[in-house]
Amino acid sequence: MEEKDTINHISTHLIETKRSLLAYEGPFFIDLLTIFGNYLKIMTENHSLIQKKIFKIYVELSQNVAYYAEEYITINSESKRIGIGELRITEDVDQYLLMTKNLVKTKDANVLSQRCDIINNSALEDLKYLKRELRKSSESNKLGARIGLVQARLISNNHLDFDIIEKNRHYSYFKLKVKFDKNE
Amino acid sequence: MNNINLDREASAPYYPGIKFNAETGVCEIEGESYMEEAYKFYLPIINWIKDFTEKENRKLYFNVKLMYFNTSTSKCLLDIFELLKKYTNEGGEIEVTWYYDPDDPDMIDEVKDFEREADLNFNIKELQA
Repeated sequence: MEEKDTINHISTHLIETKRSLLAYEGPFFIDLLTIFGNYLKIMTENHSLIQKKIFKIYVELSQNVAYYAEEYITINSESKRIGIGELRITEDVDQYLLMTKNLVKTKDANVLSQRCDIINNSALEDLKYLKRELRKSSESNKLGARIGLVQARLISNNHLDFDIIEKNRHYSYFKLKVKFDKNE
Repeated sequence: MNNINLDREASAPYYPGIKFNAETGVCEIEGESYMEEAYKFYLPIINWIKDFTEKENRKLYFNVKLMYFNTSTSKCLLDIFELLKKYTNEGGEIEVTWYYDPDDPDMIDEVKDFEREADLNFNIKELQA
């Protein structure tokens, strides 16, 4: 029987250039996200504390795209929608950078932008309180994207770097970048 | 009451393993939890705990061995802890033990948040590899 190749270790030899670990554009299927996630764990295994942080936020931000992107596919007779977006993960000597980009309604982009500003300008203790309040006060099926953004700021210990790029009058792209310092 | 036995599957690692035993009262969740629509997955689990706490007048042991869970799962876990708190308020006996991954710098904070939010005390132990 032919032996199946499995990857359980990848050596990285990085001197000073930024390099791409992962780039994807398309529907954010959970099984695809799981494959990417396993690959990400292997690619970051030399930084075990950061590895957990990146995986956590990778899942949160990817699932925000999967659930809330305005561009999506439907499967199973339209009973289920899967958001379409873009995912990039890069690495340089000092940090990993996780980026997601997806289409949103322009009016929602303004709300997202305000929320990111509030998150960036809040003290970490206040954000922990906000996270607990969002969790406690939400219904189980309506937790929303905001708690994932709060979590990204708390876990990465870095500000959310975001851009709103107008596509037309009604829709814009929401691009979010989160940094993870290797020497944290 | 029936037991719940859901094994982890390599093809779907976003579902945790679940073992709830109605005879012993020992309930265990392990692995990772970041499935889509977490509330649908956890609804029968929450209902099982509701049934146990309403019908069985025995101690419930709740052991968490989750290496990772997303924020949607954390909401479902909070729902479970609130049920357990209600059970203790009515005179029921519980013991919650959270086994944390020592390589995860943020997990202890998460556990403390749950204790605060649900007003429960957990046993916090390091997960042995």
